[in-house]
Amino acid sequence: MPYKTSRVLDRELKKGSAELLILSLVEDQPRHGYDIGNLIERRSKGALKFNVASLYPLLYRLERRGWIQGRWVEKAGQRRRRYYRLTAEGKKVLAAQRNSWREFVEAINRITGIEHA
Amino acid sequence: MPDWKKEVRKSLSGLNLAPNHEAEIVEELAQHLEDVYERSIKTGATESEAKRIALLELDDDKLRHEIQRSQKPFHEQPVPGSGRLNVLADLLHDLRYAARMQLKNPAFTIVAVIALALGIGANTAIFSVVNTVLLRPLPYKDPERLVMVWEDATKAGYPRDVPTTANYIDWRDQNQVFESMAAMSYDNFNLTGAGDPERLDGTRVSASLFQLLGVDPQIGRVFTAAEDQPGSERVVLLSYGVWQRRFAGDPGIVGKAISLNGASYTVVGVMPTRFQFPFIDDQVWVPIAFTPQQAADRTTHYLRVFARLKPGVTLSQAQTEMSTIATRLQQQYPQSNTDVGAAVTLLQEWGLSDIRPALLILLGSVAMVLLIACANVANLLLARAAVRQKEIAVRVALGARRQRLIRQFLTESLMLSTMGGIVGLAIAYGGLILLRSFIPANIAEAREISIGFKVLGFTLLVSVATGVIFGLAPAIQAARFNQIETLKEGGRDAATGSSGKRLRSLLVTVEVAISLVLLIGAGLLINSFLRLRNVDPGFRVDNLLTMKIVLSEPKYREAEKRSAFYEELAQRVEALAGVRSAAVTNSLPLYALGNSITMVFEGRPEPPPGQEPIIGVRIISPEYFDTMGIPLLKGRQLTEQDTRTSPNVVVISEAMARRYWPNEDAIGKRIAFGRVQKPEDWIQVIGVVKDVRQTLTTDTKPQMYFSHLQMDFYPPEDLVVRTDVDPASMASTVRNAVWGIDKDQPVSNIRTMQEILADSIARERFSMLLLAIFASVALVLAVVGIYGVMSYSVAQRTHEIGIRMALGAQTGAVLKLAVSYGMKLVIIGIVVGLVTAFALTRVMSTLLFGVTATDPTTFTLIPLLFVCVAAIASYIPARRATKVDPLVALRYE
Repeated sequence: MPYKTSRVLDRELKKGSAELLILSLVEDQPRHGYDIGNLIERRSKGALKFNVASLYPLLYRLERRGWIQGRWVEKAGQRRRRYYRLTAEGKKVLAAQRNSWREFVEAINRITGIEHA
Repeated sequence: MPDWKKEVRKSLSGLNLAPNHEAEIVEELAQHLEDVYERSIKTGATESEAKRIALLELDDDKLRHEIQRSQKPFHEQPVPGSGRLNVLADLLHDLRYAARMQLKNPAFTIVAVIALALGIGANTAIFSVVNTVLLRPLPYKDPERLVMVWEDATKAGYPRDVPTTANYIDWRDQNQVFESMAAMSYDNFNLTGAGDPERLDGTRVSASLFQLLGVDPQIGRVFTAAEDQPGSERVVLLSYGVWQRRFAGDPGIVGKAISLNGASYTVVGVMPTRFQFPFIDDQVWVPIAFTPQQAADRTTHYLRVFARLKPGVTLSQAQTEMSTIATRLQQQYPQSNTDVGAAVTLLQEWGLSDIRPALLILLGSVAMVLLIACANVANLLLARAAVRQKEIAVRVALGARRQRLIRQFLTESLMLSTMGGIVGLAIAYGGLILLRSFIPANIAEAREISIGFKVLGFTLLVSVATGVIFGLAPAIQAARFNQIETLKEGGRDAATGSSGKRLRSLLVTVEVAISLVLLIGAGLLINSFLRLRNVDPGFRVDNLLTMKIVLSEPKYREAEKRSAFYEELAQRVEALAGVRSAAVTNSLPLYALGNSITMVFEGRPEPPPGQEPIIGVRIISPEYFDTMGIPLLKGRQLTEQDTRTSPNVVVISEAMARRYWPNEDAIGKRIAFGRVQKPEDWIQVIGVVKDVRQTLTTDTKPQMYFSHLQMDFYPPEDLVVRTDVDPASMASTVRNAVWGIDKDQPVSNIRTMQEILADSIARERFSMLLLAIFASVALVLAVVGIYGVMSYSVAQRTHEIGIRMALGAQTGAVLKLAVSYGMKLVIIGIVVGLVTAFALTRVMSTLLFGVTATDPTTFTLIPLLFVCVAAIASYIPARRATKVDPLVALRYE
């Protein structure tokens, strides 16, 4: 049972956090998909990895909700790429999600006692 | 380099994306794959390895699925915390989750389902009785327009008196509100000539009755107006039951002659199988055919009058019109009609006035049982919700919203209540089989009680309502929980120190209050019933066999013939081995109310019309008092020597002597039936016997006994036999003795007096038993509730108790601490329950006998009993707490 529980939790956590990750990464500057995927993998030291099949559909979904906006950009000497930037609504969502994530982490920490460790 | 666009396009095949959109996706994804490929090459992978790594990213199935999902309009996406919900998907998810929860805690589920099933089952069973007996429309055309009309003699104590013929005829001819009216009188018919002689129940009815009801015969025809005239009334309609049983369903029966009461009647038709007017299957109908004397009679009250309202006429309009007519008749006929009004009632209510309050009270009681079950399950759910706080914390943190959580909890409770409903149906089904044998036999509909669609609908409704009621409190409680607060308590149960505990305490208090109300109600009924059982009927009930022997008119027209028959009957029966004595009477006590008659007293002024003393009268054979065991208090009994040729004599009851000769000796006093024309009309009182009750529930009334050898204006109909052996075993022997005198003489209603007594209080026993059962269920549920809350509270305080014990607290002090918490709840519940019971038991007063609705004994004993039971329920968990090793308790965290 513990194994099954933790896998369920893993999936739920990932689903709940993926949006937050993407919104955070495009907060300061527009980024293209490969860049986003790469950053998540690098910054999490490989603990989190999104492949094409999960990353792009999520981007499209966020775009459809109006939280990010994609735009084709051509730069000198490069093929054109689709860059995503945070919209005004996306900023609000990001703030709210950050908040609840913080609460959640604090909650988990209190339960699991990580902060005392 | 591989053609990435081709690979991506392949993955997206079958999605039917818009071409432009697809091209963009293909371009973007292909670029990504290319980047991945190039990175792999850079880090030293071979070309084929790099291609494999890139293609792994693509994960065809997942991509197709996710892209498709991302294309859907925003609001259909079930995203946690997004504010939009996919109702169906959520419901399925909730159901699966709820099912998992139930399976995880089988003990919890079983306890909850059993509690709910008891509540729902009892409700379903009682509702099906109410539905059949009170709510089902009568099986006639437009039954809501069918009414009955009564004489309203409220001043004389008869608000629903049966009308006289002349009044009925005036009503019929003068009213403008009824489409038609019909009259009916009960009668009995001795059917002879085909098989064993049999006494059939029957009615004499107006020819218009069948059309009024809107019922056609199965074969043949109903009566014509011409047949409803004296001289032409020798026609008969058979019920389906009689036709099948006595005539083997002979299709050629119409037109044949049968012998009723020794006269020949022509069968004109057979009524359909379900036609039970007024109440029974097995009967015959003949035209009522008033004679001119009957049509002018305003003193003999014996009719039942039915009417059909004209379309658009309301009950109150009809009432107004009939009252107007009755007032006119009062002025016209002051002698007979003074203070006689008219009352219009719905036909549907006929015969139900006695059982209605009992059924409604039972329905209220089972609703209370269900409420208690709800409170119990809500308590269980609250306790479980407290345990599930961590789960809720995670869900809220992941973005689950309040409504979503409430819905999840409601799904769980509805699942429980639905399971309870299903098991409850099974309980109801079993209960109905039991109920059918308890319900008083004179409620015709009782045999048809069953679980139909209406009842199933009711059960469904009750189950859903139940689920919502007991599920809502814990759901809101759980959803209102404060993440931070919960977690501040370090993962311990927040509900122990907060509103959760208050809510649980409140629920227990309510449970105690409701079950106390039920217990007091049941206590009052049990008390009544015991008193009823102890009522002295005034005669010895044991070892008495009774049977009905009604002599038919042509054969026994002369009084002498009747007297001779009964004398011979008594002799023959008394000669049988095992028989001590035998007697006849015109009506048995505890069975029929008997007849009454107005009397005048020698030496007293004649009272004004309407105020003559009405005294019960019985025609008996001289052996009656000895056979019944009615003691003679004064004077002498009737003897064989008191005959038509000797002076008229009467034996009276104690109540009559007390009422009319309070301070003098009644013996030797003279009374008469009316104006005294000649000295022989006087009747002398020769003896006083002990009072005999007509029914156990009513007071004894003045009563006179005449010998059938002297006057039999009400011919004897019942034989009573006192036996030395089990009276039931003598039944066929005695019947054969009757047939030894007249082989055509029907014998019916063979019963022991014990059975008659039991039947006479069947309704009281029925109400008492059911309410006692429900109250016991309520008590058990309430005790389980108290026990559960106490166990839980003690378990929560194990740590505290451990510290107290470690610091030297005595076992007794700890026990007191724990028990006092439980008892506080119980006492509050009892006080609330007492006040409620005080207000509610009044509605029961019509069901009570010998106790008041606020009987002090019941109101004292039941709460005491409750306190004892509750104390035990609190003590057991408290005691367990004191057994705890302080060290273990301290480590309990």
